[in-house]
Amino acid sequence: MSTSTLTQPTFQSVAATPTPPTRSRPRPAIASQLFLALLTIGFLAPVFWALLSAFKPANEIIRSPLSFDPSTFNLDNYLAMFHDVPIGSGFLNTGIVLLIKGAITLFFAPLAAFAFAKYNFAAKNLIFGTVLITLMLPTIVLIIPLLLEMKELGWVNTYQALILPGAIDAFAIFWMRQVISAVPDELLDAARVDGCGEFGIFWRVVLPVIRPGLAGLAVLTIMNIYNDFVWPVVIASSDQMATLQVVLSTLAQNITGNRIGADYATVTGELLAASSVALIPLLVLFIALQRHFINGILAGSVKG
Amino acid sequence: MTALTSARTKRRIAPYLFVAPFVAVFLAFSIYPLIFTARLSFTNWRGFGAAEWVGWDNYTYLLGNAGFWSSLGNSSVLWMLIIPVQLVLALLAAVLLNNSKLRLRGFYRVAFIVPFVTPLVAIAQIWVVVFDQNYGAVNGLLNIIGLPDVGWLTTSEWSKPTLALLFIWKTTGFIVLILLSGLQSIDASVYEAASLDGASPARKLWSMTVPLLRRTIMFAVILQTLAVFQMFAEPFVVTQGGPYGSTTTAGYYLYNHITRADLGTGAANSFLLVIIVMALSLVFVRLLRAKD
Repeated sequence: MSTSTLTQPTFQSVAATPTPPTRSRPRPAIASQLFLALLTIGFLAPVFWALLSAFKPANEIIRSPLSFDPSTFNLDNYLAMFHDVPIGSGFLNTGIVLLIKGAITLFFAPLAAFAFAKYNFAAKNLIFGTVLITLMLPTIVLIIPLLLEMKELGWVNTYQALILPGAIDAFAIFWMRQVISAVPDELLDAARVDGCGEFGIFWRVVLPVIRPGLAGLAVLTIMNIYNDFVWPVVIASSDQMATLQVVLSTLAQNITGNRIGADYATVTGELLAASSVALIPLLVLFIALQRHFINGILAGSVKG
Repeated sequence: MTALTSARTKRRIAPYLFVAPFVAVFLAFSIYPLIFTARLSFTNWRGFGAAEWVGWDNYTYLLGNAGFWSSLGNSSVLWMLIIPVQLVLALLAAVLLNNSKLRLRGFYRVAFIVPFVTPLVAIAQIWVVVFDQNYGAVNGLLNIIGLPDVGWLTTSEWSKPTLALLFIWKTTGFIVLILLSGLQSIDASVYEAASLDGASPARKLWSMTVPLLRRTIMFAVILQTLAVFQMFAEPFVVTQGGPYGSTTTAGYYLYNHITRADLGTGAANSFLLVIIVMALSLVFVRLLRAKD
């Protein structure tokens, strides 16, 4: 309604000054390609620079950061990094958390969302309203009391502490409720007539139907868990429990601590090697699943 | 008959069982800590011993504290450096990518999301190297075109823009996707009406797309406002809040209370931050309503 009042004056003013059609087409096309290409370069340059520089001799990275001579490329930075930094245990911890926390989210979030979307029950609106409010809260608010709760439970530097808080997160519920709402009720009723139990409907009807949305949630969940930093750095900072991101964040201290007289070049070389190693799994995963992820976000986001 | 009743009973009980695991985790790790923070904010607890009730002292201490206000000031400056630039870039990119005839459309969509999937800590470490004053690639580029070195991370004038750039780099692709989803729900016939009248692309963007898209734009602004005021990992890795506290964001300042075990003050700081962020969000929602 309101948009027509906003756009109407435009129509009039535009109609008063007609511009020659079609002839000016090519120029905007070139300008848009130029704009998008520049943005792309800006977005990709830091990643490519780091991936390539990690293969250069450490001294060259800082002496001439902009030149790349493939004949000098080697794996020295990687070898030194694997020797100095506990990146393997970082990967292992992140992997364990990813597997368990990811499975919990991908099973229990759609299950709860199914109840919110397709059933009526007491306190439904109260619970869902609370979920919406917590979506607005900065996550950092919960850090202090959660830390104390973990101390109370004796969970500091444990996998439980990394996995359970935030395992079935409000955003996943919110997103999955939207996706499941779109599943036709007739489909569920037909399954009931066929003698399917309520959980059977979820498992054999709902989950297969929402597979595209679920794939989008999977990519986002994996990304969030893999990249999570604030909570792990507070709760799991011990050497044994540090996740990949925590290992990365304290990398410079680790290298200089393990190697007397490590200079800036050495540290930088190992740092870029470690960053590359951390980057690659997610990049590969994303490029493999990008269609699901992009379509999932495009389908599940708010409408203008 | 009995079979039917039992099926109906099952149908009534099922939703409770389905939400139970979520509600359990939610109560234990979201609601309980939230209530705990509220109580903690009125004590001077330092992590051990008995907590002493101090009333509103933590709140009045923070409201009278220069460090608290400068952390909010730093976050506000970052907000102003980030949001307008990001919105303009994302809006232009989204409008261009919405054209199904655009060449390389699929490639651009993937390229734009690469920063979003890059681990923040990894890219923050790369930022430290690339923006180094003496050895960094950015100053190397500046030198090539005859400009002097800039202390990106070592001077208080440049530290905020450098962090802002990192944030823009990291999140713009995601905002493009959100705006694209909004654009896809706009009826194409509205545009056809405008092209019949010969509206130029710039005019169409400003007087049609932006008003039609304002809900999505506001959603993006609220999302990014929350993120900017909570910004923590970026200053933690890149600048450690410095130089001279110039990148001590609201989120980083809050973290400082935790490292000093000043938990009561930290809890009060959390709540002040929530109130500020919620108030800002409400202002945006109001602005949106006023236009409706």
